[in-house]
Amino acid sequence: MAREPYRFNTPAGRVFDVLNIVLLSALGVVALLPFVFVTAGSFATEAELASRSFFLWPNTVSLEAYASILTSPTFLRALLTTIAVTAVGTVVQLLLTASMAYPLSKVGLPGRKTLVSLVVITMVFSGGMIPTFLVVKDLGLLDTYWALILPMAINPFSLIIIKNFFQQLPAELEESAKIDGANELQTLWNVILPLSKPVLATFALFYAVGIWNDFMSPLLYLNDNSMWTLQMFLRQVTAATDLSMLESDPSSLPPAQGVKFAVIVVATVPILLFYPFLQKHFAKGMLIGSVKG
Amino acid sequence: MTDTRRPLRIAVVSATTAAMLALAGCSSGAPVADDGRLSMMVPYLSTTSPSGDNAIHTALEEIAGVELDITWVPNSSYADKTNITLAGDDVPQVMIVQGKDPGFVKNAEAGAFWNLTEHLADYPNLTTTMPEVQEAASINGEVYGVFRARDVMRAAVIIRKDWLEALGLPLPQTTDDLYEIAKAFSERDPDGNGVDDTYGLIIPKWPGGIGSNSPYDVIETWHGAGNRWTERGGELVPSFTTEQWLDGVDYAKRLVDEGLVNADYATLDSADWNQPFLNGDGGIIIDVHSRAGSIAALFKQADPEHFGRYVDVTGNLTGPGGELLAHPTAGYSGFLAIPKASVPTEEALHRVLEVLDALNSDEAWPIVSSGLEGVTYELDGDFAVPIEDAPQDLLDAVGSYAQLGTNVTGRPGFLPKPQSEAEQELYDKRRSIEASDLEAAVYDPAAGFVSATYAAQGAQLDTIIADARIQYIAGQIDRDGLLAAIERWRSSGGDRVIDEINALADDVD
Amino acid sequence: MAHVARWRWLYLLLLPGVVYFALFRYGPMYGAVIAFKDYLPFLGVTGSPWVGTAHFEAFFASPDFPRLLGNTLILALLSLLIAFPLTVLVALLLNELRLNLLKRTVQTLIYIPHFLSWTVVASLTYLLFALEIGPLFQALNGLLGTDIDFLSDPAWFRPIIVLQDIWKNTGWGTIIFLAALASVDQEQYEAAILDGAGRFQRVWHITLPSIMPTVVVMLVLQMGQVLNTGFEQIYLMTNALNRQVADVFDTYVYFMGITQGSYSYSTAVGLFKAVVGVVLIFGANWVARRFKQTGIF
Repeated sequence: MAREPYRFNTPAGRVFDVLNIVLLSALGVVALLPFVFVTAGSFATEAELASRSFFLWPNTVSLEAYASILTSPTFLRALLTTIAVTAVGTVVQLLLTASMAYPLSKVGLPGRKTLVSLVVITMVFSGGMIPTFLVVKDLGLLDTYWALILPMAINPFSLIIIKNFFQQLPAELEESAKIDGANELQTLWNVILPLSKPVLATFALFYAVGIWNDFMSPLLYLNDNSMWTLQMFLRQVTAATDLSMLESDPSSLPPAQGVKFAVIVVATVPILLFYPFLQKHFAKGMLIGSVKG
Repeated sequence: MTDTRRPLRIAVVSATTAAMLALAGCSSGAPVADDGRLSMMVPYLSTTSPSGDNAIHTALEEIAGVELDITWVPNSSYADKTNITLAGDDVPQVMIVQGKDPGFVKNAEAGAFWNLTEHLADYPNLTTTMPEVQEAASINGEVYGVFRARDVMRAAVIIRKDWLEALGLPLPQTTDDLYEIAKAFSERDPDGNGVDDTYGLIIPKWPGGIGSNSPYDVIETWHGAGNRWTERGGELVPSFTTEQWLDGVDYAKRLVDEGLVNADYATLDSADWNQPFLNGDGGIIIDVHSRAGSIAALFKQADPEHFGRYVDVTGNLTGPGGELLAHPTAGYSGFLAIPKASVPTEEALHRVLEVLDALNSDEAWPIVSSGLEGVTYELDGDFAVPIEDAPQDLLDAVGSYAQLGTNVTGRPGFLPKPQSEAEQELYDKRRSIEASDLEAAVYDPAAGFVSATYAAQGAQLDTIIADARIQYIAGQIDRDGLLAAIERWRSSGGDRVIDEINALADDVD
Repeated sequence: MAHVARWRWLYLLLLPGVVYFALFRYGPMYGAVIAFKDYLPFLGVTGSPWVGTAHFEAFFASPDFPRLLGNTLILALLSLLIAFPLTVLVALLLNELRLNLLKRTVQTLIYIPHFLSWTVVASLTYLLFALEIGPLFQALNGLLGTDIDFLSDPAWFRPIIVLQDIWKNTGWGTIIFLAALASVDQEQYEAAILDGAGRFQRVWHITLPSIMPTVVVMLVLQMGQVLNTGFEQIYLMTNALNRQVADVFDTYVYFMGITQGSYSYSTAVGLFKAVVGVVLIFGANWVARRFKQTGIF
């Protein structure tokens, strides 16, 4: 950040600053504590988990839970698969969304209004699980990774927001590109997209998290379990209940509590690490100003 | 299979299929053929599903004489996958159906699955030695699957052994004994710390409705209310319409009112059920006897030397009527059903049943129930001792393949060997309780009947009663309110359920 | 044709998106007809028998309907009136934070809850509010001088749901506003400072107006989701003692569809929700247009 925009501060502003720091730090801690608990639990012994309710540090540190999941080749394969599908899927989805959002941001485009309304309707109406499955099947996408990417390729909500963002960009930018003889494709790629980094970073995160957290698609579209993603494990361990009498099946011992926590940690940390990489783009909003000036 | 396509969709699909196919690469989905393969859809309960060609899989294929093409589905999402699968056109030849839920009943009655009633007797390993369980697993006498047999008698009372000893009390025999023990645990400082910080019975929030083997259901059976349904004056009636049911609920209410139960019985997270027991807050749990084993294992982790001191177990209790009325479970856990969509002819059905017969043979049974001898376990008498350094994947897979086990012929499997004297003692006790209680089991006389009204709205009806029971115990409603809820059950469709069930029962007689 | 020629590049860009929506969003919509049928997966959509509007009639006539509608609307309103403004507020506060390292750290931390599933959030809630021993049970009751069992008291069901919602989603929700804030022209601040504008004036006259379009869009789009309270969170927090206030459309749909196997009935309820959503979303857009000359979409 080149300049400090808040040079002139009043005493009231300083008091506000202090309060703001305290308040937001408190929010951060409140958000973090439960995750610390889950992490601490993943390092605790079963006996400790069964007897203590809420703790932030285990009495005895045990690596057993991690040993049991990290030595499983299925789990490691799923981790790598998830990272790869998320990376490819995010790029594909973001490109498709941006390329559709740009024309829709052109107010004069014939048919634009109808298309936008049709898009908005899909935010509320959906055909449901089974008809969607049949489309994916008819397209031959079953048991391919595209089934995890294409059916959710354009999120109507993201599309609308990105479209609105494009709409707000100063028109002069494009005019000057046009004068240089660029067509709209080139303008989008060379001018608009570089200027839209904060918003694209945001939706990259949304899409990445969407793919990462999706467990319905692998469940429904992938029969081959060697292709499964992490969420299939996460779902299975966290959804299990411990009611032996309710389950008519005595063989259904729930996974150990520590394993549950360890799986949550392993499935959450990689995507959390993704965020700081995008964060730097959020600060680059000043670009617009500098281009104009 | 019915074609669900619409012209519009065909047009759109074909227009873009070429492009998409290029993108998708090749895809599987070849129709299931009778070429020495059998496709199955099976739930797994462990964290990971077994991987393709493991030793257990190969061993079973060898016995079955076909290639087994198993789609493993996480247990937590089995219902969604089942619906999708039935709607698609590559339905597996054998599907494990987890119970007689309304969706299955409707599909079965519409002809989605083979009716096996007349067929099973042709296969020695599929001919059950427990016809009453097969009857209970049927839909009004029609058998739509090979049931998966489970231990029938599992209800038990698990008690803090050290507390009983400290207060000089014996294990309970009757519900009155249980009340006295709960009272003593609450009032007589069983842990001897001089502080009034203990109570008797621990009950968690129960997600199931009425008749879902909750501690309340078990107590009601002990009081003579029957098991879901019972016979009164030659008619079948729901147990909650009986006087004895009200007695059972009043018994539970008395325990709660006198503070002998954990105060958060309506909300305690079931995942934390063991916690008050381990921590010495509460001292009694009514659940399956295998929980005694898992609690003992947790004590063992915390106190490896003396863990045998803490847990004791006894079976069903004699109610105020003076007669032992034991609460059994259904005796089966779903069944293996054969969809007609993928098994179109009787010959094909015959071939599938032959494979299922082989998978329940004496040769296959030890593998299905315990894994591979010499690879995942060693035999020690009747007990299986797990081989510790076997690959973890394979050990995990043992439990998953157990899902294929039908065991309609009721053979005992090899059980894991208890590791110490204390565990052995607890284990023997559980077995003896099981055997003696089985003679007093009160079965659900309507287990095999599915009433049309119940299939359409049963879950909703049952919630009325299950909620009212807790509200009455909590004092939110009084006895009139509870009776009004039962009346509401009747008028919202319950009376029709009763009529239909009795009509079905009359048909059988 | 000159028309098309002029816009050809834009239409080309539009093509993949249009194909996508035709295939994956509109293609499956024929499935909604099962609301007018007695659908069985085995019989397929076309093979299942027609029943007309029977499911809708049963739903609207059901004694559950008014209760479900009321419970759903109250939760939706609470979310709109409390959770939504709070998200904007936190985004503004973050934007005013001048310690860059702290700002980044807090941003990262408050996203974490979004990644924990409702199952985990629910079991944490049970831990924290556990009768007698839960830390929040003790703290809140100490503060209020009461002895309330928050988990079973019907009066506390909604506050807890809103609280969970805020905890899990506020941080995540700020992302979109922060992105909008990042795009605010910094020169405006410079100019305002030169004009002698104070901290709060700058927020009021520059920051807020510049994210207003995003706020309005988010608000309009959220109107479409008013009846979608979500299923899992509520299901996990429901018990016999608070069910009267807890049952909402989404839990009902789950109950009827999955537990009771009435796919058609639950589709009918879903269709009803969708129609209400479309009306609200277009209605809100119309209102937004009346107040601001430009449309939202």
